[in-house]
Amino acid sequence: MASYDTTFSPAAAAEEPLKRSAPPPEYKGDCSPVVDVALRVLLFLTALVSIIVMVTSNQTKLIPLAPGLAIRLPAKFEHSPAFIYFVVALSVACLYSIITAVLSLLSAMKPSGCSAKMQFHFVMFDALLLGIVAAATGAAGGVAYIGFKGNSHTGWSKICNTYDSFCFHVAASILLSLISSITLLLLVWLSIYVLYKKTTRR
Amino acid sequence: MDTEYKEKEKEVNVSNRNSSFNCKELVFRLLALSLTLVAAVVLGVDKQTTTVSLTLVPSLPPVDLPVTAKWTDLSAFVYLVIVNAIACAYAAISLVLLLVTRGGNKLVSLILLMLDLMMVVLLFSAIGATGSVGLIGYQGNSHVQWEKVCNVFDKFCHQVAIAVFLSFAGSITYLLLILLAAVTLHNK
Repeated sequence: MASYDTTFSPAAAAEEPLKRSAPPPEYKGDCSPVVDVALRVLLFLTALVSIIVMVTSNQTKLIPLAPGLAIRLPAKFEHSPAFIYFVVALSVACLYSIITAVLSLLSAMKPSGCSAKMQFHFVMFDALLLGIVAAATGAAGGVAYIGFKGNSHTGWSKICNTYDSFCFHVAASILLSLISSITLLLLVWLSIYVLYKKTTRR
Repeated sequence: MDTEYKEKEKEVNVSNRNSSFNCKELVFRLLALSLTLVAAVVLGVDKQTTTVSLTLVPSLPPVDLPVTAKWTDLSAFVYLVIVNAIACAYAAISLVLLLVTRGGNKLVSLILLMLDLMMVVLLFSAIGATGSVGLIGYQGNSHVQWEKVCNVFDKFCHQVAIAVFLSFAGSITYLLLILLAAVTLHNK
């Protein structure tokens, strides 16, 4: 009994501090920083191109009001508050992607590997930003759909037959922001999967 | 004897944590189910008929025309009702799954967490769409000659606003579910 106790307790005492300290370096290959940074770069690129395409969408056309009278009327993205919110939300996503890509790279280069705390923070903030970008996509999509088809019940006429280039720009911008949302979704799924793998390994 | 007691204590601690984790998640899913259900119903029964008086000819008295506003008139409202119905059905299914596995099956919890995120995305996009279309109905848009309709259909617009707020509360509940699961995964 005495020999059993003396051989067992030092091992148990050595085991306790190991569990409380940082995870051992074998977890370094576990968090896949390459995929994380690549997705964040994709997010940055799609958000940036979407903003540029939306901002350069101005189009001016000659609208005939009466026979013999025509005035030049512009179509700009600032005319709709939904598009303004779209540009603001995607700029936030752009900035956020730069900051988190840098943070992810820095944490992956540390010798102790990536920490669970970083992944947890990424999950929360990525999910928040995903909500914001999804709302922006939905808002711009809703207004663009009415502009494309019009609405006979409320008496809102369609504008895309007149302003074709403007509508094309807006449609391309919304498609790119949809890709941004899917990228953010994949990022959160990746962080959740990494956290799950860390807990099942222990 | 000492190690056996410690192992049993650990088992009890683990099972206590499992049951407490279960309780909060069940409450959140029940809340999400009720919020999305009420939002879908509030918008789904939204209909208002009112009379608008038009003066066709100046000499004759104005003609009263009945005009109706229904939720099916605008596609963004239809999208919100559909998304709320999906979120409600998903909340019910996930509640049943959670009660059946008692939070013990890790793969089921992981899949439910990923689908919770999908619900957040769908709900937020529907809220954005309905919010922007509702804002056009409220303020109009002078640049494209779209007139506001909420001065005529005020009860209709109020119900749309209530449905949007309820959907927003439902999506926040789903976000809290994700936060709860992430905190639990992080603390393990």
